[in-house]
Amino acid sequence: MQLNVKQRGDHVATFRWIEVRVMEMLARWVPTTPETEVKLAFGTHIWDFAQHADHLGKRTHELRLPPQFSLAPVPGYALFLADLAETTASDRRVAACYDCLLPALERRYREYASRVDPLLDGPTLRIVEHILFDLARMQKEGQALRDEVPAVATTDAAWIAALRRHEMEFTDIVLGRPAEAAAERDAA
Amino acid sequence: MNHADIGTITVRGGVVLRASPAREPCFRVVEDQARMAKFPDGSLEHRREMLHGDLNEEVQSLEIAAQSLVDFPDAPWDIRLQLARQCWDEVRHARAFLARLIELGGHKGEFPIINQEWGVVCMFDSLVGRLAVQNRLFEGGSLDVLKQGVEVLTGWGDPTTAEILDAVAADEVQHVRFANGWLERLRKEDPRSLLKAIAAMDALRQWSLALTPPEMKMEHDIPVNVEDRRDAGFTVE
Repeated sequence: MQLNVKQRGDHVATFRWIEVRVMEMLARWVPTTPETEVKLAFGTHIWDFAQHADHLGKRTHELRLPPQFSLAPVPGYALFLADLAETTASDRRVAACYDCLLPALERRYREYASRVDPLLDGPTLRIVEHILFDLARMQKEGQALRDEVPAVATTDAAWIAALRRHEMEFTDIVLGRPAEAAAERDAA
Repeated sequence: MNHADIGTITVRGGVVLRASPAREPCFRVVEDQARMAKFPDGSLEHRREMLHGDLNEEVQSLEIAAQSLVDFPDAPWDIRLQLARQCWDEVRHARAFLARLIELGGHKGEFPIINQEWGVVCMFDSLVGRLAVQNRLFEGGSLDVLKQGVEVLTGWGDPTTAEILDAVAADEVQHVRFANGWLERLRKEDPRSLLKAIAAMDALRQWSLALTPPEMKMEHDIPVNVEDRRDAGFTVE
């Protein structure tokens, strides 16, 4: 079944929350990562995530929500991102971002696109198309970074595989609006 | 390194600054301007040292903008968006300076670096204080320095580096402008919040006196870049 207006608003606001959190995660990593080229890659992508959040935030207002409105995802996913932000080694930071998080976001946006009416939700799909374009570019830039800086080219394969598996455990990350979610629970 | 691991250091004059952000082992980080390298004006070594210093300045500006995104999550979204854009601008500047440094036969870590800008700005616990010092004062001052740099480098027969400085200056105008715009908005809507900007400027004045080695006091003033400053929202009289 396709998502209705309220559900689309919830999804867009949740995606916005995630984009802001990832922007903040990279911002936190910039001063604490020694390798210049890695700092510069993260610095570039801070701006990409900020733009995604901004575009999604404009769209929330068109879906009966306040402008630049964010909704936290399910607590487990929020915790997953918070734990990821605590990563300290440069090679793990690079892998976490470019091998786990970006492909996962790409998958989630594609999944969203498959669940909406392309006519009724056209404006969101345009935003999603732009974001997918950016995510593909950012992954290429992540690969170029690893070609340039051998010290961050590889990381613990078991660690990154476990991280990917953990991310995929969260099949539905949208929590919905707190007051309405509570009302729905009460009704049930 | 975790962001909470960046503590403080005590430097010249007993001034306490935020400790340096992470740097690669190839860099020799000094804490006193007197320990920076010096070469004859216009020499190849001087131009390389200048580019090396510019590279580190841009990296620090990136780090300051990024740290402000972390430290002030409740700041208005339009300001956070501008800070995020500034991050990308500083990245592009750093890349341009690094590429030119390499073209001139230099490399990362060729000269000592100092992270005093980061150390000073990240001591302020308000975004209004940081923007007043970093964007309005430091980057505003860089508009003057960059314009003079374009003329000097052209005179030294290095139009390539001069062109880079000119492009960087054009971007810096926007960084100064958004800070000036926000400070002006605060002046009208919440003038008390500007007390933190004033306190930051006062602290900076005292620290600057203590941090500058006596032999490095400015002997001449840099001409004011009237056009760019006006464009950036300064009232020029």
